Amino acid sequence: MKLGIESYCRITNNSVIVNDNSIEIPREQSWLTDIYHAAKISYPKFFKMDNLAKCGFLGSELVLQSIDIDKTTPKENIAVVCCNRSSSLDDDTAYQKTIQNNDDYFPSPAVFVYTLANIVTGEISIRNKTMGESAFYVMEQFNPQKFCSFAESAFLDSTIDACICGWVEFFDGNCDVLFTYITRNPKNNKELNIENLHTLYNL
Amino acid sequence: MEELILELKKEIIEVLNLEEITPEDIDTDAPLFGEGLGLDSIDALELMMLMQKNYGIKVDNSEKGKEIFKSIRVMAEFISNNRTK
Repeated sequence: MKLGIESYCRITNNSVIVNDNSIEIPREQSWLTDIYHAAKISYPKFFKMDNLAKCGFLGSELVLQSIDIDKTTPKENIAVVCCNRSSSLDDDTAYQKTIQNNDDYFPSPAVFVYTLANIVTGEISIRNKTMGESAFYVMEQFNPQKFCSFAESAFLDSTIDACICGWVEFFDGNCDVLFTYITRNPKNNKELNIENLHTLYNL
Repeated sequence: MEELILELKKEIIEVLNLEEITPEDIDTDAPLFGEGLGLDSIDALELMMLMQKNYGIKVDNSEKGKEIFKSIRVMAEFISNNRTK
């Protein structure tokens, strides 16, 4: 199956790259909040998200800023597929702290709702009103071959025209994000293949 | 009462991550849900935890919760009359 990467975004602890352009992020608050402000996004729910969902949200926002999906693709034909290493462990740990001590037992509902990794795909779908399939995979490390397979599996559904597909890892203060917008007929020549994904991940 | 209202506003901003809102932005008499601050059901649960953790008040009835969380002023009056912390 021949698919193409129409847009991509790479976020690490100290850099943001969108479609080959390094984005300058003024440092004022937390790294993810600084990216949010630099990207001029207005979505108050962002601040209620856990860090994993924030990473997924930002990755998808930056990828989609250069694409007008409202005009290019019907929302029911867009899939969302994500993968990572630590699942929701970062938020699981935060939640555990709220129930660790019998004398200070106050389980936080707002923390609890993010103790599932696939909440990330839900947040992205809600934000963009996409209605195609969504999936979240957990694997040991970023694996371009599996990433390709996950994206290709979304396109086995003939109604799917595009897929917001991302590696979204956050644990213990470290973020590692690669988001892509994959289509059947990309407007550029960046084919979805192992070599290109390897290159983008190592930017 | 005004002191408790201000304290409550600060706590709500912190616990609900209302990042771009200041205490001055919150109308003391405006509805907390639906309009006003536009809080959702998860926020309601978080407010229940706040009442228990900070003021020793257990809100275990959703109908009662609806009454208490009508506005910041109603919340503050309820806390003032029922707090154990």
